[in-house]
Amino acid sequence: MSSAIHYLQALANLAAHDRPPLRPADLSRSALLAQYHPDNAGNASTLLQIGPSRGQPCHPRLAALLQSNALIDGFDLAGAEQRSTDVLVIGGGGAGAAAALTAARSGAEVMLASKLRLGDSNTVMAEGGIQAALAASDSPQQHFDDAMRGGHDAANPQLLAQMASDAPGVIRWLIELGMHFDLDEPLEDGGKLRYKQAGGCSQPRILCYRDYTGLEMMRVLRETVELDPAITLLNRCPVVELLSHEDGSCAGAVLYDLEYQRFIVVSARQTILATGGCGRLHLQGFPSSNHYGATADGLVLAYRIGTGLRDMDAFQYHPTGVAWPQRLRGGLISEAARSGGALLVNGLGERFVEELAPRDVVTAAILRECAAGRGIERDGQLGVFLDTRPLGANLASRLPALQHLADKCGIDPCSEPMLIYPTLHYQNGGVIIDGNGQTSVPGLLCAGEITGGIHGRNRLMGNALLDILAFGRRAGRQAARLAQAARHKSTLPPQRGGIEHVYRWQRQLALAGLDSSLQAPLLYPGQARLALHRPTSPHA
Amino acid sequence: MSETIHISIDGKVVDAEPGNSILHTRLQGEEALTANIGCMGQGVCGSCRCLVRKAGERSAETRLACETVVEDGMQVSFIDYYLPEHLHRYRPHDLRDGWQALPQLQQTFPEISQCRHCSGCDRACPRHIPVQQGIALANSGQLQAAAALFDPCIMCNLCTLACPENIRPNHVGLYLRRAQAIQNLRPGDLLRRLEQQARGEMAINTQTDNTRSEV
Ligand SMILES: Cc1cc2nc3c(=O)[nH]c(=O)nc-3n(C[C@H](O)[C@H](O)[C@H](O)COP(=O)(O)OP(=O)(O)OC[C@H]3O[C@@H](n4cnc5c(N)ncnc54)[C@H](O)[C@@H]3O)c2cc1C
Ligand code: SF4
Ligand code: SF4
Ligand code: FES
Repeated sequence: MSSAIHYLQALANLAAHDRPPLRPADLSRSALLAQYHPDNAGNASTLLQIGPSRGQPCHPRLAALLQSNALIDGFDLAGAEQRSTDVLVIGGGGAGAAAALTAARSGAEVMLASKLRLGDSNTVMAEGGIQAALAASDSPQQHFDDAMRGGHDAANPQLLAQMASDAPGVIRWLIELGMHFDLDEPLEDGGKLRYKQAGGCSQPRILCYRDYTGLEMMRVLRETVELDPAITLLNRCPVVELLSHEDGSCAGAVLYDLEYQRFIVVSARQTILATGGCGRLHLQGFPSSNHYGATADGLVLAYRIGTGLRDMDAFQYHPTGVAWPQRLRGGLISEAARSGGALLVNGLGERFVEELAPRDVVTAAILRECAAGRGIERDGQLGVFLDTRPLGANLASRLPALQHLADKCGIDPCSEPMLIYPTLHYQNGGVIIDGNGQTSVPGLLCAGEITGGIHGRNRLMGNALLDILAFGRRAGRQAARLAQAARHKSTLPPQRGGIEHVYRWQRQLALAGLDSSLQAPLLYPGQARLALHRPTSPHA
Repeated sequence: MSETIHISIDGKVVDAEPGNSILHTRLQGEEALTANIGCMGQGVCGSCRCLVRKAGERSAETRLACETVVEDGMQVSFIDYYLPEHLHRYRPHDLRDGWQALPQLQQTFPEISQCRHCSGCDRACPRHIPVQQGIALANSGQLQAAAALFDPCIMCNLCTLACPENIRPNHVGLYLRRAQAIQNLRPGDLLRRLEQQARGEMAINTQTDNTRSEV
């Protein structure tokens, strides 16, 4: 560890000021990012060697998974159970639930397969809230402008415009399903939703439910999915490979049923991947705020079957992860804390960045303090202070999740600062889609964090929850439409595909001289690997 | 840190580092974890449900493994999650008419009147929600008050497992909360924006000059 200021000394330095002074900036934002953002470290990028996005930059850890061999071969499918459906949705977070509900609502027969239980996802963990431009002084245009600027002008303008325009309709849909939102002036004429300020936004635009917006959203979505008779739910059935037709289109997927330890082949007219991001890969050695299942599975499978990817070298490291105590390391402290007035303070007792600057800038600034020896050390953990005292006495009722976290840390946030360090939070890039979630592979759609292009190279707070629902619904609607068109042509069940694309991929691996012993998707992080059961004999 | 302690997880004794949670101890084991894990410590997904008996104690308590710190001699048994055969089916659409709220609640959850006040649900709840009181309020028609009690519920279903009458209290709570939003939440600002969009007033010009301002 580079040198740092001891916790007790740092506390004394903090106590020296009523409100710590802000040190004037001596580096431009772009210089700060270039020197200190983890994406710009020397070892953070390599070029993809095979596949549709060959030649594009990608994080090396992810590149290794993207350029790996399949988990199964044709032999595994021989005796597998066969099922079929109009629309197969893979992933049980917000994007998957929204897609499944919309597809079912549009008349399709739907199957939803999830690796963990439906709902165990990043979505349920979201705290801060969801953006929607509703204020009289605000507009979808300003929402668009802020997000475009925040993403360093790299977003696909069409996708971003669709997302910002969909926002009011998405909020209405959520309320129609029974989700609550915080109100300001609840008694006045139907009430007005409470707006919170997010970093990088021209005005307050975040809608929330306390600071457990994702929990409130996901419990409503999960219940609706579980009770919908048109949706067949397969919990603990991770997808291990996609299926393809001879013409290269997607034909469904191969699932592994953990309960019965066997493969299930699902032939689907349309398949929607909504498997989320890759936070659990701990890129650049960072801790992560993500749930256990965020291991880039869908990304790997989509690439193997032929979709293009973008911005696979751009990740979001959230500025305020827990740094102490160690067992909670990486856990998220929502931006709602800074939005409500919490300050970032280094070991010298100085503020060193505007707290509501864009996330990548704040993260780079924190890493700079730590690199320069102005960080704080407590029991071997390094970070800077998040001074939550300005949040005031009603913290526990306004931000119960923050209070709950502080309790677990053994800290009284009204009198003590928390130690924080950036944590790997979000995958900015992903699969390239069109306005309806369709990829370049016919029959395959994607929605949610697995996709790229909506946010450019840096996402603003509250736009992920919006994106997964806006595009989850779009993908669901489109998949149902296409499945129904196919059903009109032929009432026979969808044709069973094979894994020809895997064999093609294996040839590419060999030609490029890549190691084909590495297999992916990873499915589960951690030190122990899951061995897929392979029935070798009838007696096994 | 140094000294290692021992706990037993699903019958197997494992080494544990003091200060770690049960879940993180289990993660370091030799078997791949494929269930009973989700948010890994935020305590919001409710998937890491387990029974915990501390050394020397007779009774076991239900806990979240990610929020419980290991103690020497602890016995832990994880509780799998499954969907019961018997779901209380309803659709958001059914919740629209507030005047029918009470009969509809009784129709959807006919068991709620059977509550025997055994407080099994209260003891099960890792969030310390007064679940039994919620059911009592619901029975007496105080639906808003009942709904409010379930506000911090993480849907871990432990109260449902505990309930001898198959009431599924947390689902009653969620049902009431949903009904409340569906019937009452009509924010004026949202109504106005939707209406403006319907008139075609809020289109986005994607061509605006958005050159990043360097600060
Ligand atoms: C702690 C935290 C706080 C956040 N706060 C906010 C916020 O306040 N506002 C905001 O806008 N965004 C926030 N985000 C980001 C946002 O929550 C996510 O980007 C978003 O929820 C992703 O949704 P998703 O449906 O694409 O993926 P997820 O919700 O992650 O769901 C992915 C699903 O896919 C399943 N899956 C994975 N692999 C497989 C496989 N092989 N087979 C089958 N299923 C699979 C998983 O089990 C899971 O069910 C936060 C994220 C985190 C981690
Ligand atoms: S009310 Fe029931 S489901 Fe909700 S947190 Fe308590 S025990 Fe879990
Ligand atoms: S467990 Fe069931 S029967 Fe017992 S008090 Fe709770 S709701 Fe009533
Ligand atoms: S892992 Fe989510 S509550 Fe414990």
